[in-house]
Amino acid sequence: MRMVWIFLFLGSISLWGADATLEVTKNVGGLSKFVIEDGSETKIEATQKFHKMLSADMKVVSLFDVDESYAAQNYESTQPSLEHKDAAYVLRYRLVSDGKDGFKADIKLVQNTLVLFTKTYYLKQSEMVVFLAHSIAYDINAKMGGAPLEWMKRKVLLVRLTGAKRSDIIAADYTLSYQKVILSGGMYGFAKWANREQTDFYYTSLSDFRPTIYKANLASGDKKAIVSSDGMAVCSDVSEDGTKLLLTLAPNGQPDIYWFDTVTKEKKRVTDYSGIDVNGQFMGNDTIAFVSNRLGNPNIFSKKIDSSAINQLVFEGKNNSSCSTYRNLLVYKTRDGKGFDLHLISLNSNGVRRLTSSGENDYPRFSYDGEAILHIKQEGPRSSLGIIRLGLNKSFAFPLHIGRIQSIDW
Amino acid sequence: MKRIAYMSAVLALLVFSGCSTKEPAIDATENAAGNTSKTAGVTNGSQTGLSDNAAVISPITNASSADTSVAGGNNSATGANGQAITSVLFDYDKFDIREDMQAAINVNSGLLKGKTFKLEGNCDEFGSDEYNFALGLKRANAVKTALVNDGISADSIAMVSFGEGNPVCLEKTPECWAKNRRVDFKLP
Repeated sequence: MRMVWIFLFLGSISLWGADATLEVTKNVGGLSKFVIEDGSETKIEATQKFHKMLSADMKVVSLFDVDESYAAQNYESTQPSLEHKDAAYVLRYRLVSDGKDGFKADIKLVQNTLVLFTKTYYLKQSEMVVFLAHSIAYDINAKMGGAPLEWMKRKVLLVRLTGAKRSDIIAADYTLSYQKVILSGGMYGFAKWANREQTDFYYTSLSDFRPTIYKANLASGDKKAIVSSDGMAVCSDVSEDGTKLLLTLAPNGQPDIYWFDTVTKEKKRVTDYSGIDVNGQFMGNDTIAFVSNRLGNPNIFSKKIDSSAINQLVFEGKNNSSCSTYRNLLVYKTRDGKGFDLHLISLNSNGVRRLTSSGENDYPRFSYDGEAILHIKQEGPRSSLGIIRLGLNKSFAFPLHIGRIQSIDW
Repeated sequence: MKRIAYMSAVLALLVFSGCSTKEPAIDATENAAGNTSKTAGVTNGSQTGLSDNAAVISPITNASSADTSVAGGNNSATGANGQAITSVLFDYDKFDIREDMQAAINVNSGLLKGKTFKLEGNCDEFGSDEYNFALGLKRANAVKTALVNDGISADSIAMVSFGEGNPVCLEKTPECWAKNRRVDFKLP
């Protein structure tokens, strides 16, 4: 019976091996050497795969010079294995099946034979093992005083185009190692978390007679229609408390931004330009940033919700067609040269920082804490989830192996 | 051995089919090591040694992913005599009707009088953002305006934009992208 669970665990891990592509690597000179060792009593392929997941996460943590070589050592030992004798830090793990669908994981961080940190985790669903690796990496980062990494543990919501008028909505981890289809069978777009707790989400169904925004519960799958519009209906942004939405609707074939109160159901039109106004993003409670072609080409503007005055926010680039905001920061997509890149500006200064340099980069989304930016990266036929860690000036790309990403949120 | 392998396969299928529970997927307890010495940039573990709520991860979902509310696919519009309606093509980043498309719109208008139909705006693959969807919608709206000017009732026309999600050509060529910048006519 024990072998059954070992096979089960092994199979679940092997399906979702971490597949990280490090796009930009910072000079690791000066960082302490960090190794990860398998202290499991039964060392099988599954425990070795877990080593790869942890290694990939610790590279994203970026506090250490991570040696990705696998080695085993008795869990209780405070000494590194012979292969890792020059390591400054050793993270050792021990996985034990719980006899059901999960397992117990003990971890220990050792520096020069001193145990800095221990923790025990109980994973009840072996298919979610990559989230265990993320949790461990998050905890190690926190204990070592690294920059906030809350986004690492969050679920990513994405729409995957699978064919003409066909798409799936998927919940995933940030590396796309874990993917679970949560809605399929129609044509969907613009899936977005409805609250910070990630219990509900909005999405657009394009399979209805008119485009319709639904709100769905992740656990139960229950859904209800929020609003429909001829032509286009998108939930562009959700206020921090989850009670207000910025929508793009086009009741007369004219795409404009609307403010919507989810409690009172009050709806008011925020823009009324005869061209294109889309992609509303909250900037506090009473101001929005948005994309408009009112000056001939798509660009980023702002306005107060209850005022008609418009401010231009970006003065560089001729094709700035997507944006996301966090406090006084604005990230936007711009067409420059041959591709689409993401640029970052502070609304308090004039500086522009280019964030990407290869591929077609689209759909930027700040993390809740503003520490990182999630985006879609398209390189030829390959669609990837990109993450930019602003404080560290590092970016990572995790490819989607099937289909193409239409929209993304976290 | 065969029995073990069979049971493993069955159990693996159960796991992969998403038989999750509603219990938290990960519980965690942590302890600061008693023999830890502080080093620069290193903080000791929490002294509580108890459950860390931040480390609890809820199951993804128990719900079926199949969307049962989706209606059947739309049919391509045809005229009274079965003649196929011609899609209207557009230039890059434009939504004004090209001169070479005006004749097709006139023919379509004659074939669709008295029918209720939907205009589907589509774009090339350059961008999955809202702006691209809006561009598809503005294209559909431009065709709608032309049809209404030709005598078709505005109430008989619905519109939708699929952005880049409904390509008719998948090659990475300018000719292919041009085919995808279009408005299709569909009967409900």
